[in-house]
Amino acid sequence: MMISRRALVQGAAAVPFLSIPGRAQRSAGILRYGLSAFPPNLQPWVSTGAAAGTVKLLIHRSLVAYDSKGQLRGELATSWSIDEKGAWVFKLRQGAVFHNGDPVTAEDVKWSIEQIGGEKSTAYMRAPFQSISAVEIPDPQTVRLVTKEPLATLPTWFANYNTFVLSRKSTANEPIGCGPFRIAAQERGTSIELAPFDKFYKPGFPKLKGIKFVVYADDNLRQAALMSGDVDIIEYVPWQSMAAIEKEPRLKLDTVEGPFMCVLFNASKPPFNDPRVRRAVAHAVKRDDIVKAAFFGRGKPLEGIPITPGTPWFDEKLAQGWNYDPARAKALLAEAGYANGIQATMLATAQYGMHKDTAEVTQQYLAAVGIQCELKLPDWPTRVNMGGRGQYDLAIHGLSGDSNDPDGLTPYLDTSQPANYSRSFGLSAPRTKELMDRGRAEFDLAKRVAIYKDMQRAALEEVPMAGLAWREQGFGMDKSVKGFSNLPGALTTSSGGTLEETSFG
Amino acid sequence: MTRWLIRRVLVSIALAWIVATIVFMALHLVPGDPAELLLSTGGVSADPTAVAELREKLGLERPLLDQYVSFLTGLTRGDLGNSLVDDYPVTSEIALRLPRTLELIFAGTIIAVLIGVPGGAYAALHRGGAFDRIASATAAFLLAVPVFVLGTLLVLLLAQTLRLMPAGGYTPIAQNATQHFTLLALPAVAIAKGLAAIVFRMTRASVLDALSRDFVRTARAKGLSPTRVLVRHVLRNALTPVLTVLGLQMGTLLGGTVLVEYVFNWPGLSTPLLRAVEARDYPMVVGIVLTISGLFLLINLIMDILYAVLDPRVRAS
Repeated sequence: MMISRRALVQGAAAVPFLSIPGRAQRSAGILRYGLSAFPPNLQPWVSTGAAAGTVKLLIHRSLVAYDSKGQLRGELATSWSIDEKGAWVFKLRQGAVFHNGDPVTAEDVKWSIEQIGGEKSTAYMRAPFQSISAVEIPDPQTVRLVTKEPLATLPTWFANYNTFVLSRKSTANEPIGCGPFRIAAQERGTSIELAPFDKFYKPGFPKLKGIKFVVYADDNLRQAALMSGDVDIIEYVPWQSMAAIEKEPRLKLDTVEGPFMCVLFNASKPPFNDPRVRRAVAHAVKRDDIVKAAFFGRGKPLEGIPITPGTPWFDEKLAQGWNYDPARAKALLAEAGYANGIQATMLATAQYGMHKDTAEVTQQYLAAVGIQCELKLPDWPTRVNMGGRGQYDLAIHGLSGDSNDPDGLTPYLDTSQPANYSRSFGLSAPRTKELMDRGRAEFDLAKRVAIYKDMQRAALEEVPMAGLAWREQGFGMDKSVKGFSNLPGALTTSSGGTLEETSFG
Repeated sequence: MTRWLIRRVLVSIALAWIVATIVFMALHLVPGDPAELLLSTGGVSADPTAVAELREKLGLERPLLDQYVSFLTGLTRGDLGNSLVDDYPVTSEIALRLPRTLELIFAGTIIAVLIGVPGGAYAALHRGGAFDRIASATAAFLLAVPVFVLGTLLVLLLAQTLRLMPAGGYTPIAQNATQHFTLLALPAVAIAKGLAAIVFRMTRASVLDALSRDFVRTARAKGLSPTRVLVRHVLRNALTPVLTVLGLQMGTLLGGTVLVEYVFNWPGLSTPLLRAVEARDYPMVVGIVLTISGLFLLINLIMDILYAVLDPRVRAS
C-alpha cells in the first residue's frame, strides 16, 4: 500500500497537536511535584518516611518549624523560653484556626502532646515525649511543659515532621490540622492534590494555588518526568542524573550534604566487641572511592562522627579522626590479636543501589587489611529484620540525623537503647552515651560545644558506628519555581515545608 | 457434559485454594515484620514498644493457623481483609486497579493483532522478499529484547529527548479522554511488542501452510480474485491457530504488565502489589496474587470449555 503524500503531510502536521494533550499542562499557579513514593499513610504522628513528611508538613502545623536557613522559627508558638523552674514555656499565636474553623487553643496543644506520649501511642516521638511529665496551661495563650530532666533541645522536637498540633476533635482516620493546605483529592498510590487553606494564619500564604503530588517510584522515570516537563519539581534526584539536570538550561539543581552512610557493628560477640577492631575497620576504608562509586562524586568522605560541617560543634580535626590509614588498621588488628585476619558477614541490601555499592567498596578495603567479608544483600524488609536481631557482623546503613544538633544523632549513638536495625547491635559505648546525655541537659551554648567535642573524642575511641560518606540530597526543578529551599544538612528531608513560600516567578 | 463441567470447575476452585494457601504461608515464612517496617520507613528507627503495640492492633500476635482460618472464612464471604498499611479494604483496591491492568492488556492485544496479522500475511505472500526478511528479523529482535529495556528506551526517546509524549502516568478517561489514550499508548506498545512478534510469526507460518493446500489451488483455478482467495480461503483457515496462541498468551501478558506498569507509572495492579510486598502487607499481597491467579484459571477454564464444545474427544478423555 502506498501512503499518499497528502496523508503524510497531514500526519506530520498532527504530531505537535498530538503531543499537547499528553502533556499535563501547568494550570496557573499549581505546582506539580514528583514524589518518590506514595505515603504509606498520612497519619500525622506516625513516621512513614520523608515523602509522607513532605505532604504532612503542608497540611499540619506545629509549635515551631524550620525557616529556609534551617533555623527554628515560630509557627503556632510566637516565642518559647525556659522559666525559673526549668520548664519550657511556649506562648501561642492568636488567630490560628483548624481546617474545621475552630480556633487553635492551648487545650489542643496539650491534648496533642499527651496523645503522642501516650501509653498506647505508635507515634515516632513517643519515647522522647514520655520525658514530659506534665503539660500545664497557666493561661489560654500559654503552654508550660515540665520535663523529668532538663532538655535543651526540646523545641526542635516540635519541628519534626511527625510532631503536629491537631484539633481535639480529630479521630484516628480524620486528623484535623491547621496547615496552609488541605487535601483536595487523592488517588491511592498515584497522586495527592492539595488546595490552599483560605483561613491560614499567615496572610498572603500559601502563594501557590495548589500542589499536585504525582508519584514516580522509579528514579529514572522521575528524572524523565522533570526533563520532559511533566512535573515542575522532583525530590531525590538520582545521583547519576544530577549532571544532566545541571546542564539543562530550563532546569536547576539544589543539593545539600545531609544524609550519610556508615558501618554498624554486632558487638555482642567477638571480634567486633573489641573497640580496637572497630577502629581498625574505621581506618581501613578509603572513602573517596565510595563517593565516586556509589554517589557519582556527589558527596564527601565522612571520617568521623556525622556532625554537620558549619555547625558550632563541628571540628575539622575530629572530623578526620578515622582517616584512611591501612597500616594503622593492621596494627590495631594485630594489637587486638587478629594479626591473621578475620572472617565476617556484611549485611546490606540490594534493593537500594547506594547501599550495595557502598558495601562492595567497603568489602574490598576491609579485605586489604585482612578482614574478609561475605556480603549478604537481601531485600529491604529482610535487611531490617536481620539488623534488628543482630544477624550480622558488620552492616552498611544509610541514615540522617533528626536535626543538625548533635542530639539529633541520639538514635544512632546511644547504644543503650533497645536493639534496632539502624543502630549497632549489643554494643556498649558508655562514655559517648553519658556525654550525649550531658549535652542534652546543658543550656549554655559554649558549654554544649565543649561537651560535644568531648563526645566526639569518646566516640572516635568507642566507635558506636563508623562514618563512611556524606551524600548529596538533591531537588531538581524548573527555573520558574521560586522560594523553595533545600534545607541544610539533616533537615533536607523537611524541605517540603518551604513549599508554603514557593511560587512561580 | 454437565458432570465434566462440574468436575472441571471444582478442580479450578481447588487450585485457587492451593494457590492462596501457598502464597499465604510463603509470605509469613519470609523474614520482615509489617509493624516494624511501617513504623520505621526511610531509615529511622522505631520504638520497640510502639511496634509491639501495632503488632497487637494488627492481629499479628495471633497464631499463624488462627490467621489462616480467619483468612479462609473471609475468603468464602468474598472479603479479602484490609491493608495492614492503611486499613483500606483489599477488594476496593483491586476493584479500582484491575480494570486498568485489563485495559492495558486489551490495548496491547489489539495493537499486536493489528500489526502481527497483516504483517504476517504480507510476509507470507511475499516470502523471501525484503519485507519478509526485515520483518522476521525485527520480530526476532522484539522477542529477545526485555520489555523494561524497550520501555525505558521509549521513555528516553519519545518523552525525554523528543518531548512528544508524557513520560508516564494516568488520567481517568472521564476526566480527559485524549490524555488518557496518549498516556495509554506507550505502555500498550511495550506490552504488545512480544505478542506482536508471536502473532506475526504464527500468522506467517499458517498462511504459508494454507497457501500450499489444495483448496487454495482449487479456488485459484476457479478464477477467484487474489484478494478473495486470500480473505475467504487463506486467512479464514490460517487464523484459527493464531487465535489459540492469543488465548494462551493473554495469561502471560498478565505477568508481563508488572514491569510495564512500573516503567510507565501506570497505576494498575502491579504498583500496589510491589508496594505490598515491600511493606509485607500480607492481605494485600494475597488478595492481588489471588486475583491474578484466579483470572489465569478462569481463562484456562473458558478455553477448556470452548475446546470441549468444539471437540467431543476432549470430553471423552
